[in-house]
Amino acid sequence: MVGGKADRRRVTIEVVPLATVAPEDISEVDETTEDDRPWVTIVWNDPVNLMSYVTYVFQKLFGFSLDKAKALMLDVHHKGRATVSAGTREEMERDATRLHAYGLWATIAQD
Amino acid sequence: MSNGFSRTRDGIQVALGPLEATLLIELIGQIDALLEPPPVDDPLEAIVGLRAVAPPPPDDPAVARLLPDAYPDDPDAGADYRRRTSDDIRAGKRAAARRVRATVPATGGQTVLDDDQVQDWLVTLNDLRLVFGTRLNLSDDASAEALYAIEGDDPRRPVVELYLFLGDMQDQLVHVLL
Repeated sequence: MVGGKADRRRVTIEVVPLATVAPEDISEVDETTEDDRPWVTIVWNDPVNLMSYVTYVFQKLFGFSLDKAKALMLDVHHKGRATVSAGTREEMERDATRLHAYGLWATIAQD
Repeated sequence: MSNGFSRTRDGIQVALGPLEATLLIELIGQIDALLEPPPVDDPLEAIVGLRAVAPPPPDDPAVARLLPDAYPDDPDAGADYRRRTSDDIRAGKRAAARRVRATVPATGGQTVLDDDQVQDWLVTLNDLRLVFGTRLNLSDDASAEALYAIEGDDPRRPVVELYLFLGDMQDQLVHVLL
């Protein structure tokens, strides 16, 4: 038994994107250096996460003092969102991933 | 024996009654199945461990809450973020849940958690709360407050009890740490 035309085509299609993964990633990096508006990580209010837990996670992940972590948590709670970090897109993605690992609702945007 | 967390010289001590221990083990086991990653069809991608194509956004709203869309205004960037990160986030949460499960005294009792185990407990308790909170359709702070007023004959009551039980545990653990 041999693969049909569709199968052979599949192989070709799948190999091409794998080969282009690295150049695509590099071009993304280039875009961020051309446009120097900073990227930010935003944490959004949600009805499940405890205020105490959000405060703790801000301290743990960003090394904030208890007062700063609490103030940010209260911003999230009262205003619906707070910017918790700013930097390169890659740094913001790392922060968002760490926040997602802890179950916080984080998104990334360019300021 | 009362349930809960306390700080000791050796770490954070957790004490659980037999029913709470059984319940926790049962609940934690569900994280594993819930967060199983979508299959990678391409054998080459599977071997390399990198996806060339982004997995679709999760159908289950609870899983979607555990893996938020990082770029809600940019679907392409969101898909690419999902392609690069979602398998790792899923694996991290599943591994944490398995490690927590291993520390729960099967028939109740006490155990002492080190720093890493405490982080695993925080993450897993929170993931379970996010799952139950989504199942309870909590959409805003007011709907979360309303849970306390749910009557005994309400069909949501058993899930609400579990949700509040997990929240009490997590809050207690965080306050021991803060």
